[in-house]
Amino acid sequence: MIRRVSGYQYVGGDHPVSDAVRKASGDLAFGSDLRLPGMVHAALLLSPYAHARVMRVDSSRARAIPGVLGIHTSAEAPTGRYCRYRILPGQAGCVDDESLFTSTVRFVGDRVAAVVATTSAIAREAVRAIEVEYAPLAPVLDADAALAPDAPSVHPGGNLLHEFEVAVGADAERGAAGERLELETTVTTQRLHHAALDPHLCFADYDSAGQLTIWSPCQSVYGARTVVADLLGLPYHRVRVIKVPMGGSFGGKQEFILEPVTAYLAMQARRPVSLILDRDECIRATTVRPTQRSRLRSVFTRDGDLRSLEIDTLLDAGAYAGSSPDYTEAMAHKLTRLYRVARYRHRGRVAYTTTPVGGGMRGWGAPDIAACAEIHLDRAARRLNLDPVELRLRNLVEPGDLDPASGRSVGDARVRECLTRGAAAFDWARRVASDPGNGRWRRAVGVACGAHKNGMLSDAFPESTTMSLKMNEDGTLDLNAALHEVGAGSAVTLKTIIAEALGVSPDRISTREADSAVSPFDFGCFGSRMTYVAGASALALATALKERLIEAAAALLGLPRERLRAIDGCVRPIDAQAPALDYGLIVQRARMRDGIELGVTQTYRGTSNPGSYSVQFAEVEVDTFTGLARVTDFLTVVDIGRAINRQMVEGQCRGAVQAGIGSALCEEVTLDDQGRPSSGGFKNYHLVNAVDMPRVEVLLVEHDGDDGPYGAKSVGEIAFVPTAAAIVNAVNRALGTDLSHLPVTPERILAALASDPRPIGVRTACV
Amino acid sequence: MRLTTTVNGTEVSVEIAADARLLDVLRESLGLLGTKEGCAAGECGACTVLVDGLAVNACLVPAAQVQGRGIRTVEGLARHGAHDALQRRFVASGAIQCGFCTPGMLMSATALLERNATPTRAQIAEAIAGNLCRCTGYEAIIDAIEAVAAQPRPGHAAD
Repeated sequence: MIRRVSGYQYVGGDHPVSDAVRKASGDLAFGSDLRLPGMVHAALLLSPYAHARVMRVDSSRARAIPGVLGIHTSAEAPTGRYCRYRILPGQAGCVDDESLFTSTVRFVGDRVAAVVATTSAIAREAVRAIEVEYAPLAPVLDADAALAPDAPSVHPGGNLLHEFEVAVGADAERGAAGERLELETTVTTQRLHHAALDPHLCFADYDSAGQLTIWSPCQSVYGARTVVADLLGLPYHRVRVIKVPMGGSFGGKQEFILEPVTAYLAMQARRPVSLILDRDECIRATTVRPTQRSRLRSVFTRDGDLRSLEIDTLLDAGAYAGSSPDYTEAMAHKLTRLYRVARYRHRGRVAYTTTPVGGGMRGWGAPDIAACAEIHLDRAARRLNLDPVELRLRNLVEPGDLDPASGRSVGDARVRECLTRGAAAFDWARRVASDPGNGRWRRAVGVACGAHKNGMLSDAFPESTTMSLKMNEDGTLDLNAALHEVGAGSAVTLKTIIAEALGVSPDRISTREADSAVSPFDFGCFGSRMTYVAGASALALATALKERLIEAAAALLGLPRERLRAIDGCVRPIDAQAPALDYGLIVQRARMRDGIELGVTQTYRGTSNPGSYSVQFAEVEVDTFTGLARVTDFLTVVDIGRAINRQMVEGQCRGAVQAGIGSALCEEVTLDDQGRPSSGGFKNYHLVNAVDMPRVEVLLVEHDGDDGPYGAKSVGEIAFVPTAAAIVNAVNRALGTDLSHLPVTPERILAALASDPRPIGVRTACV
Repeated sequence: MRLTTTVNGTEVSVEIAADARLLDVLRESLGLLGTKEGCAAGECGACTVLVDGLAVNACLVPAAQVQGRGIRTVEGLARHGAHDALQRRFVASGAIQCGFCTPGMLMSATALLERNATPTRAQIAEAIAGNLCRCTGYEAIIDAIEAVAAQPRPGHAAD
């Protein structure tokens, strides 16, 4: 069962997530399983209007309900504003525009009031009993409407939240019109719900000594600390944030949505407060992947060389800024690390609207821009009469290329190899040439490429993390790092890296989740930084500890350290004359004899941020009668550098396809003409289930070429980046359509078929 | 009202509200927190438990309906502190990532293997069609169930 990579004892094998045993037992306490002594329960009153002024809140009826302990509104709560996305005080790109409770509601789901009661049912009953008088204002339901000259302002200062341009490369030689292809495509991506099965929740307690403790399934305890402490005027050492096990995040729990309000309620109640959202509230009132529209205009030579690419992106931030400005800028920093393009212009605009708040989600702008670019490239391939694989091969970056937008190397970028090996494994050449046919069911294949990153390092952001590794007297190890396990196996990945470096089994290493009172500082678990940055930090830490062990053994044995080496949990003399000392014995003796502590604390600083790459191949079957598209075969190829945990890398890849099929074909948080989400839970937000999943093959390209531990690069986000694009390209190939509005639902597919009078056979004759 | 039922082989008798859901009784009255609540609408399957061997969404079942019946939850799978074959295989196969769907998946898989000891992959997928997973893409889960089904078993899977 356990696969091994030659040369490594643990790296490249299969390692279950650290808490898998407890998850299978059912005794791992997720957030909603926490039970604090004296705990009371909160519920939120959320706006039914997209845009309105709160004229009057009458809570007298609610207050009379037995069990109600407190009702809170903007009338008495602090009115200070905060940014739910902030990690550090003074962080650029953070807009403080949100408050605990609002007197002007800006989306259906905005917080108007909260009730604290002895039970959750009473709290919810009391919320329903609060009478709120609203004075409706004109809703602003999309970014175009928001930027219209006479649009109502969502916030003071207008609706244009952020604007930028990335411009690299000189104007290309234009050439004669006949020698080039100019093409314009507009692609829209939709609002997505993260759909972590574990709902959003937060617990908080404020004790009589003024200590606030927050239990949250978050992705950054230090960020939660910053936002809550700054808002509520508490010193940082009085705010302790403990990360609790989470049933998935996918970026939905990256921002601090419930921590501020729960903390405030706990300070008022002076009892532990639990706030757990239901599914409908999770969809409406937390965060969504923002919807955006990009217009792409490009110039290709007739041979398919991409000479110029101009993109104009308009992103709908929703009611509060959150991460949307940075998210949109991230979109503009992906394609120049994927394709060589002589001239790249990316204009981005971000608008406030009175719709659900946009936020970070798996891939953070990369899947959004990949959908745009890859759908556009397939249209170009059709017009240039080129195989889509050939068109991409003409333009993809090579290892060592400089990304002109970031000024940094793309590193050992093996995306071309991903494409060629993937095409061979998928039998692309044969399948792309096969006719989708004229029958009711049409089958075709599609391909897409994607690029992402490895950590946060950029001109705007440093990259570093601090960790401690301590060895015990029996040779076991404790890693103290601010880990935020999201379910992707970051803890076991770090254990595996340390195990490999020290020759100690991973199960002899313990990790803990982030706790701002005891964990060394770390930014958080996002930005594809866990394996590449935290993993490199763990490797450096283990290597330093190994040196300390050799040094201590040298003193104990009275031998020069050059004559010793550490192997398989022991320090051995090279010439084997003296006995080997196992690590535990070294720790015992060093402590007893010399009072030496064998632990290392150090800060690792990242110095590179190479590209992560994935190329994906999809086969779809479309029912032209019902408009239903089904993915029937799928291949994910990832430039992983080196798989530390093969089983979990493959799991990330397959899980990404599950979500990617959803974003291509069915998932969307839609709004009605009053800005009300049509959700009603998973009933109207269809997630791909086991029956709808195709078999997903995973092919890993491993070259150990960058600075990650053992050459490893990121996987969880990049694995999702090109998925939807590959599927939409396959649908367009099957039908000869130009669908570019995600998701390609049956309704959109049927509409596209109905709008094109040509017989199907003519339309699909494209390559 | 008083509810008397057998939970994981032990008879329990608890006072419940007339409108209590089976999920509330398990989690709040009996402290069996392994059964998760993901949607409260029978759409995600995280709260799947067995009622007389049948997999049901505990969020949809009025507790009064299980009067005198036999309930099994994830906590009842292990024997003498040792995981059963499905739990072991779920752990080893990478079928667990965030783990929130795991208890429900295990119960649906248990119900399947008890009524069909040699299911096809399609039958396995059908059996867990009501259990959503956002992490794994289902393949490792189906692999794990298939591997357990292929094992020669002493006696019945319910043992």
